[in-house]
Amino acid sequence: MRNSRATPEIGTDLFFAKNKSVPISLIPANHRGSLDPTGSPIYVPDNSIQTLSRRDFLKLSSAAAAAGMALPAFLHSPPAAAQSMTSTERELLLMAIDAARAAGADYCDARIIRTQFEAIGAREQMITQVQRTDSFGINLRALVGGSWGFSATQDFSRDAVANMAREAVAIAAANNEVAPSETILAPVDVFPDADWVTPHTIDPFEVPIEDKAALLLRINEEALRVNNVRFSSSSILSVKEERLLATSEGSVIRQTLMRINPDINITAVAPDGSDFQTRGAVVEPAGRGYEYVRGLELAASAQGWAEEAAEKLQAPSVEPGKWDLVLHPSNLWLTIHENIGHPTELDRALGFEANYAGTSFIYPPEDVINKLRMGPPHLQFEGNRTEFGGCATTGWDDEGVPAEAWPIIKDGVFVDYQTTREQAAWISQYTGITRSHGCSCGQNWQTMPFQRMPNVSMLPGEADLSEDDVIGDTERGIYIEGRGSYSIDQQRYNIQFGGQVFWEIRNGRKFRMIRDVAYVGRTPEFWNALDTIGGPGTYYLGASFGDAKGQPIQVNAVSHGCPISLFRDIDIINTS
Amino acid sequence: MANNPTQKGLSSDELESLTQRILTMSTADQCRVNISSGWRGYTRVATNRITSAGGADATDITITSVFGKRVASVNTNTLDDDSLRDAVRRAESAARLAPETPEYMPELAQQSYTDSGGYYQSTGELEPLTRAEAAALAIDQAKANDQIAASYMDVQAGSNTVATSNGLFATHASTGVAYTLTSRTVDGLQSGWAGDEANDWNNIESQRIANDAVRKCRDWRKTDLEPGEYTAILEPTAVGMLMLRMMNAFNQRPADEGRSYFSRTGGGNRLGEQLFDERVTIFSDPAYEDAQTAPFTSQGEARERTTWVNNGTLENLSRSRFWADQLGETPLAGPSNLIMAGGNDSLEDMIASTERGVLLTRFWYIRGLNPRIISYTGLTRDGTFLIEDGKISRPVTNFRFNQSLAEMLQNVEMVGPATRVAASENSSVSTPIVVPTLKVGGFNLSSVSDAI
Repeated sequence: MRNSRATPEIGTDLFFAKNKSVPISLIPANHRGSLDPTGSPIYVPDNSIQTLSRRDFLKLSSAAAAAGMALPAFLHSPPAAAQSMTSTERELLLMAIDAARAAGADYCDARIIRTQFEAIGAREQMITQVQRTDSFGINLRALVGGSWGFSATQDFSRDAVANMAREAVAIAAANNEVAPSETILAPVDVFPDADWVTPHTIDPFEVPIEDKAALLLRINEEALRVNNVRFSSSSILSVKEERLLATSEGSVIRQTLMRINPDINITAVAPDGSDFQTRGAVVEPAGRGYEYVRGLELAASAQGWAEEAAEKLQAPSVEPGKWDLVLHPSNLWLTIHENIGHPTELDRALGFEANYAGTSFIYPPEDVINKLRMGPPHLQFEGNRTEFGGCATTGWDDEGVPAEAWPIIKDGVFVDYQTTREQAAWISQYTGITRSHGCSCGQNWQTMPFQRMPNVSMLPGEADLSEDDVIGDTERGIYIEGRGSYSIDQQRYNIQFGGQVFWEIRNGRKFRMIRDVAYVGRTPEFWNALDTIGGPGTYYLGASFGDAKGQPIQVNAVSHGCPISLFRDIDIINTS
Repeated sequence: MANNPTQKGLSSDELESLTQRILTMSTADQCRVNISSGWRGYTRVATNRITSAGGADATDITITSVFGKRVASVNTNTLDDDSLRDAVRRAESAARLAPETPEYMPELAQQSYTDSGGYYQSTGELEPLTRAEAAALAIDQAKANDQIAASYMDVQAGSNTVATSNGLFATHASTGVAYTLTSRTVDGLQSGWAGDEANDWNNIESQRIANDAVRKCRDWRKTDLEPGEYTAILEPTAVGMLMLRMMNAFNQRPADEGRSYFSRTGGGNRLGEQLFDERVTIFSDPAYEDAQTAPFTSQGEARERTTWVNNGTLENLSRSRFWADQLGETPLAGPSNLIMAGGNDSLEDMIASTERGVLLTRFWYIRGLNPRIISYTGLTRDGTFLIEDGKISRPVTNFRFNQSLAEMLQNVEMVGPATRVAASENSSVSTPIVVPTLKVGGFNLSSVSDAI
């Protein structure tokens, strides 16, 4: 029963395709309520793949990988949401709601959640992991007076579900007795029969294991061709969540969410064993189907990443001091996650995370909303749960609030936090917004939903500057790709962020690779040192499957988009 | 591993029967079943109120099927026969398709284990109301001092089980409880922390935790101090948070492959070398009182008391069965808990003997920097004080540290008694860590953190 796993870390498994940018692409019709028949791109199982023999499959997968092929896309097909959720399960969920109401809940919401997870891993020329998990359960969250209670079970018998519902109410009632409090839920529209599916063309769980394994072995093979490269590990993690939500206010919402995380880590070792260097974080996770992996050309790019690992062995160590920094989005997204995403979580700002993740320097709300300058006037951030490919993109949140996008930093000034239904009223007098921004999420059936980070993205500049334009604007600087070791204090002031690959810039051009670089500073000064930002052509979505928050700890997947950006006079330390 | 009628989750008889049912369904060359079964309850406080509380029973089954050296595993939490049969079938079809895993080692036959104990009724039967009462105690103490409490109590009770088609069956039940409290002033300018972790609820001192966190918050209102290298007295929680990171380093393969602090330049490893101060002894022991863990790994290998560092000398590194086979040596399971031997120096003596130094309560956001020197960065939090002329002179600002743990263990000056600590940053029941207060020289506080 001991949980012997280490604390989940943000971004332990992230990558991006080198110099490849993903343009902004919003989903035009993100929601499909019961009255709206227009749908989003929907997956149709390609049964032909499942019936292939092992030998045929190897042939197909290697040919497909070699050709960078994607399987055909089937758009505009009937919805396939909540594939395993039946009318029986809907009826069971409504029974749980009734049981909780009868036991005295003033409000409740209940979920049946099935989470499927698949991990295929390879090290050098061997497969090290083939694992699938499938977890299925039901939970209920009850409000009695102003106090919450929560219970969950994997036993789907009617008695067990009714007991689970009553247990949640009993815990809420006990809490309200011991420490009464007030809770006001923001208004929300009712969606009595709604559906949403992550836009995709290939369900990762329909792609045979052998296809993925063959790709990973090819990636490692390509990486190991490079001199001094001795180790290469790669993996593909796939997640599918089927969620059926019912609220005591009458919403019933079915969703199928998909995410995928390809990962590669390459190690070069000096011939005399005196040093080793790694190159990881080469591509990003995404809220997409397997077509995303096929489009990344991982095997074709592996040698290039391996050469970077080997070159790091020879690269000179950085000279500490003030440098201009050009941050590629593959590095900048995690900085955004840490010092814009987290401090704009309203529960954190108000002390709800004080015993774990900490509080926020963006506080108190009355002193900072529409007042706190976070950066230059061309700095814009928005929270969104609608961006195509985002890991936190959804149709509705765990309280039945429809996904939306809203400004967090406007023209350099902080304007709004991330909120749930309970939190909206806490700041509505300052924001003028009475509805939730739809940021409630529980990791799985065992966990109580609470405020989680949406995709928080920095908008590209209006001038269409390219990467070359931004580097060209730098006389003496360091260009950083990929996220490295990241650490930030509990109010999000003191930053120390590393990277994967560092290039010294001289006179507007990449001059040579250097190493052992970390940038340090204080968040407000860091963002106010922002000078030039790239145009839409440099915009790129970084992401993590491992955003940890809450007690018990819950892990959230989230994306952050941003353009390439230039910061002036940043302190650099040498980490060797 | 006797049957305990009140054990949370499935009983050992039920677990034996369940594993047998699954193994009987298997048609693979070899099969392994791992089951985690039990219950978790929690109560969380913030802004002086209970913000969430709940509980869930859960049983998770992982089935690993093997054909030759083709291996795949499937995890499910659905226990009826049809679902289990389906899970076995899915594991087997995945294994048939999977490429070979050259390093796969055959499933083990029955092994012998020392019963390590670790299940306490006091924890297994803990009621939500008892958790709420501990929460109310913290809230009352904070309110009485114009502070705001944020606390978390995590309670786990259940078992881990492994069984193989080669006749191995082992199950181990344990409990765990972690209780931590952060108390802050209303103006947000002061913060204090205290916490306990144990297998046995009777060793959680709710009143002392409330007193200590509130007192530390009262005493800590930061003043300026320059960053730099300081003599540092690390309270046991601070030591434990760092030593938790050391656990993975005691692994022979990365050392032999040139990827570890324990690699010898030119090849091989540093076993037998004096690497740390002679007062440093680090071991693991599944039966260590109130820090018990299962006496077996997920593959069923026995875990026994193992000394990793003995009086500063690297004595052992863990070896997987594959790596041991390559070397022609016996396998050695890695640590499941970590105990650093204590000494006789009191905290008062450490402070009194310090001309100028800092006292650190705990850390935050610890991340690796350079594995070749086991260096980490992170930040101090919830109680950082300056010591001058043998006395605590004033509270000071928080800092970022950049520190090699290897160097820290070379620079040990004084060692206090060892105690179990809440070493996990998220305060959940975690790997049991038992460590002393340490006084170390040259601890590198590299920059100021404005965070409170």
